[in-house]
Amino acid sequence: MLLGIDVGGTHTDAVLVGMDGLKAWAKAKTNHADLMASIREVLGRIAPEAGPEPITRLNLSTTLSTNAIVEGLTEPVGVFVASGPGVNPSAYAVGSHFKAISGAIDHRGRVTARLDETAAIEHAKQCKADGVSVYACASKFSPRNPEFEEALRTVVHPQADFVSCGHEFSGQLGFGRRIHTAVCNASVWRLFNRFADAVQRAALELGLAAQVNILKADGGTMPLSMSRSFPVESILSGPAASVMGIIAVCDISHDSVILDIGGTTTDIALFADGAPLIEPDGAVISGRPTLVHALKSRSIGIGGDSAISVLAGQVRVGPRRLGPAMAEGGSHPTLTDALNVLEASSHGDTAASRRGLGELAASHGMDGPTLAQDAALAAVTSIRAAVIALTRTVNDRPVYTIYELLEGKRLKPEKVYVMGGPAQAMAGLLAEVFPEDVLVPRDYAVANAIGAALSRPTLCAELFADTQRGRMLIPGMDVEVAVPHSYDLEQARLDASRYLREYLEQLSIEDPEALVETVEAQSFNMVEGDRMVGRSIRVKCQIKPGVLPGYRKAVIRPC
Amino acid sequence: MLKAASSLGVVFFPAYDWAISPTHPERQERLLYTQDQLREEGLFDIEGIREYKPQVALAHDVDLAHFTFPEVEQVVTSSHLISAGGAMRAARLVMEREAKRAFALVRPPGHHAMKVVHGTRGFCTINIEAVMVEHLREKYGVRRIAIVDTDCHHGDGTQDIYWNDPDVLFISMHQDGRTLYPGSGFPYELGGPTAMGTTCNIPLLPGTGDQGFLHMLDHVVLPLIKRFQPEIIINSAGQDNHFSDPITDMAFSAQGYAELTRRLGAHIAVLEGGYSIQGALPYVNLGICLAMAGMDTSAVLEPDFDPERVKQEQRVTDYTKSLADQLLAYFLDPPAVPKHGCVEGKWFVREKEIHYDTDGVFERQVEKVHLCGQCSGTVVIESRAGSGPACLAVQIPLGACPACVELGYEVFDTGQHSAKYRRAMLTDRPGKVVQRVLI
Repeated sequence: MLLGIDVGGTHTDAVLVGMDGLKAWAKAKTNHADLMASIREVLGRIAPEAGPEPITRLNLSTTLSTNAIVEGLTEPVGVFVASGPGVNPSAYAVGSHFKAISGAIDHRGRVTARLDETAAIEHAKQCKADGVSVYACASKFSPRNPEFEEALRTVVHPQADFVSCGHEFSGQLGFGRRIHTAVCNASVWRLFNRFADAVQRAALELGLAAQVNILKADGGTMPLSMSRSFPVESILSGPAASVMGIIAVCDISHDSVILDIGGTTTDIALFADGAPLIEPDGAVISGRPTLVHALKSRSIGIGGDSAISVLAGQVRVGPRRLGPAMAEGGSHPTLTDALNVLEASSHGDTAASRRGLGELAASHGMDGPTLAQDAALAAVTSIRAAVIALTRTVNDRPVYTIYELLEGKRLKPEKVYVMGGPAQAMAGLLAEVFPEDVLVPRDYAVANAIGAALSRPTLCAELFADTQRGRMLIPGMDVEVAVPHSYDLEQARLDASRYLREYLEQLSIEDPEALVETVEAQSFNMVEGDRMVGRSIRVKCQIKPGVLPGYRKAVIRPC
Repeated sequence: MLKAASSLGVVFFPAYDWAISPTHPERQERLLYTQDQLREEGLFDIEGIREYKPQVALAHDVDLAHFTFPEVEQVVTSSHLISAGGAMRAARLVMEREAKRAFALVRPPGHHAMKVVHGTRGFCTINIEAVMVEHLREKYGVRRIAIVDTDCHHGDGTQDIYWNDPDVLFISMHQDGRTLYPGSGFPYELGGPTAMGTTCNIPLLPGTGDQGFLHMLDHVVLPLIKRFQPEIIINSAGQDNHFSDPITDMAFSAQGYAELTRRLGAHIAVLEGGYSIQGALPYVNLGICLAMAGMDTSAVLEPDFDPERVKQEQRVTDYTKSLADQLLAYFLDPPAVPKHGCVEGKWFVREKEIHYDTDGVFERQVEKVHLCGQCSGTVVIESRAGSGPACLAVQIPLGACPACVELGYEVFDTGQHSAKYRRAMLTDRPGKVVQRVLI
């Protein structure tokens, strides 16, 4: 049996899923001061429902790291950055223990200027004197050659509780993203590990022998043991849980749109041929881009608690949140109230909704029902505009071959799945502006926790080989081997998926159905003079996000 | 978070599935390391800098810039239409104010492609700047345009296309034609009889470095642009003046390119040549992008950059200074008639021989410009490639007077009945008409 917990901004949801369906669910208010308390509460309520059947997996999605980073409640990090030529490294300065160290590695991974270890040692001393004990090391082009980062780690290791190196996160290029990812990771390391300890204790107390996994922003999971070294990977997993919930509950096989309408925002995600789209570069947190894999999503400021306002005769909804709705005892009419007035819902005190809308309307020379109609229309129109903009961004994404430019797939959504509190009430209105089929899956109330429960491990391997230099490496998997001059794309493909599977075994992730797919495979002949001197090979393999098929049969329903 | 001082759109298209031949300089690998560098630098994470994909140019867009024989589709491949479309996309970004400046970082290049196209020369088939310029005129009504070609090779194609066009100021800075392909680009090449002085060539000595380039820019190029008062400035941003380029002999650096870009302040830059794909392009392209976005470029240095090694010799400095003074005076007060060609009745006639080195084709041309006095004059070209059939091309330019319009149609009509030509093409820009005839 599987246990899924989603610690969200408002609620903490938990489900217990067996091969024969949803066995139990629980919902509690999230206690932001003590997330563990919320987790213990829902765990205590549903774990006993399993009966004699063993709970094999506990998947947990938590806002812990996200909140700590967004609210700046993190630990100071000693940052070592080896930049080399290009954008001035001071542009990436973060915190008050940041140091740019001279030394350069070029795009092929060749050292073009020696690392100034003396400066690194000086900085380490200073950090120690300042009481810093977690560190991040990042060098430009470290996915092509991690030696500077390793050397910096060696310098600081004796005095560190923890060191993050940029190349451990991704083989993808992006120096600023790499620095930010490593720094965020180190900054939440201690906090996250304390939390992980508490989760393990709670599981023990309840007698759970389950493997514990943490949900990631790409809708996949990682073992708790791995998350201890990569806590930053747990950011933004909440929206991913909701999307995975939809995949679990509904049989999505087309290009489609997912709308998750909450109190403050509507989150939009897209599916291509039934698979969720991934942000190609990585998630953005606190306005800074990272290398953390994430599902592609956009958030707009329209939700049930969004305030209705009239400006120069124009009716608007959001982005201001002035909730709760008057139906729930609030003082300003919101979208929820408008839906009540339109009789699309009968949520709470509908008379209060009518009164609120009526008063606001009267002050602008309108009547309540008209204002409600205009507000609802403004909301769904804005949502549709955002969906069109996001779809366009996907279809306009740059491509680099003539084939892709002329023949590449274009996303054309056929269905719109709506979830979240106001979903049912908004469905009819959305159907009026969306030409696509608008569907509201049933049991959406805990779809996010179902998504968490059924999610599977995801992993990515980015292989880079330079046959002129006779080397192949997969950053993050600690693979760096010599390859012969004859090494080619086919061998690289096989290697990438082989190392990925080996790495899975090493992490004792058992998922025999895991689908390894090659998402990128390019080989370029390197020519000098008029002679071919080698190949530059780049292969990206991944285990796609997905839900466990066996259990999925138990929770799937017509949508 | 980094922020651009002025917004920049980069149309990046490396055509990873296209090459002239596997080991040709124009091969798949050419922009690979540039892309690696731009990605690693996080260029597109900078607020105000965005990456775009190219649009695809249509045959009609090509027709506005070229006379292609026998047909557009038989001369170009989709790679050329995409590369020209990339330049058009860059123009659209600027004209529709999505970005203050735009850089079409695309391949294959185009500046050796001339008005008449029978094939490929100097790695170029169609002139992507010219397709873009005609798009700017046709779609956005831009009239006066300056093109500054900073590729190491003379931009002979662009020069040919705008030879008789007084509304396009074409300035080319290049390694002296006596020492490099295509062997042209001398100061006396000033344009046709109705557009004298709107073509300006600045030949540079081999070994010219940052100092020499910037001196010519400040003392010749910028004053010419100031006088011309263009609505749009375009930079044909070839990168083969770099000290590490394998097929040229100059000493320009990434710092120099960035500074030139900053001082020139072009609205649109279009990549041309540049074949030091590992040692120069990643840094030069980064420098150009950052400079166009008004950002700090002080740390953009090649790994093997040594100021002493690329310092230009004193004799080059002395020559450059004296040449600059002479050139500016010459360009500001050009001779009344072109050096080559002669007047035949109401026509000015010149003969040309064009070698398509990439395709091994030899073309002979007779170009006639109508000395109208009212407008820049209808242009008539007779062309024969190798032993192929003779072709007739008639260009009625934008702003043509009614007499020149009438004359254009008359010549086109007479030509078709003369039994001299197998193919004929007419472009009537004021009337927005393009006609092709197989006779």
